[in-house]
Amino acid sequence: MADALAGSGDAFAELAARHKSRVFGIASRFAHNAAELEDICQDVFIQAFVKLRQYRHDSPFEHWLVRITTHKCYDYLRKRRHRADHISVEAMLESGHEPHAAPAPVADPDLERLHAALAQLSPKERLVITLLELEDRSVQEVAGLTGWSAANVKVRAFRARAVLRKILEKSP
Amino acid sequence: MNDSSNDSSSQLDALFARARAHRPDTSRAEYGFETRLLARLRESRASVTASLWSIMAWRLAPFFAVAVLTLAVWQEKSSSDAADAAAVVGLDNPVAGEIWGN
Repeated sequence: MADALAGSGDAFAELAARHKSRVFGIASRFAHNAAELEDICQDVFIQAFVKLRQYRHDSPFEHWLVRITTHKCYDYLRKRRHRADHISVEAMLESGHEPHAAPAPVADPDLERLHAALAQLSPKERLVITLLELEDRSVQEVAGLTGWSAANVKVRAFRARAVLRKILEKSP
Repeated sequence: MNDSSNDSSSQLDALFARARAHRPDTSRAEYGFETRLLARLRESRASVTASLWSIMAWRLAPFFAVAVLTLAVWQEKSSSDAADAAAVVGLDNPVAGEIWGN
């Protein structure tokens, strides 16, 4: 950590190797495809490297990293709203993205329905539902990660569930 | 109405539980991640250094412009002073006039 703080890229790469699974695990709940997953994770660690001096040692490094990951995922959800949903492989190659191996397809049709429904939620609704229900975080934890109040998290979660139920009822 | 709402809510909870249990396998995406990250870190450092140089150059541009102008004015002034001195010395001092070729 001290070497990474001194600006050593190699030391930071070691730190990344130790914590990447956690970051990939969370980001994979939000990423649209493998290229986006890679981008989110790289952005998380780049931001962590740049802001490493702001890390206070009063909580584990991983907590701090998870907070950055949450914010990055939310940023990506917001950005995706403004983009076309499907990007062709050619467009991805032109933009410099490598079409890495896609995440393993979800074999369960019910889960596919759920993921399709989650994709229709607003970024805030999706964030709160994913953290609470899929990542199994408590309301307090979600509040700490997002910077929202606990009451706000509860209200958003309640509304998100209602929207999700409606979407699932409509879908075949 | 209330029953159906409870029913759909419990169905949703069951779906969430299944989704929680099914964590996407990211091992392939994680492979070689540190190498790619280091490459991007180096790239971003290089671009940051380049942009810092360009920012500094632009910030220092007015200073250099003033310095060049001052030098030009000083040189112009000193050369005209020397010409004046030579002219004065050549007119009033016959010895100096000989030296200057007057």
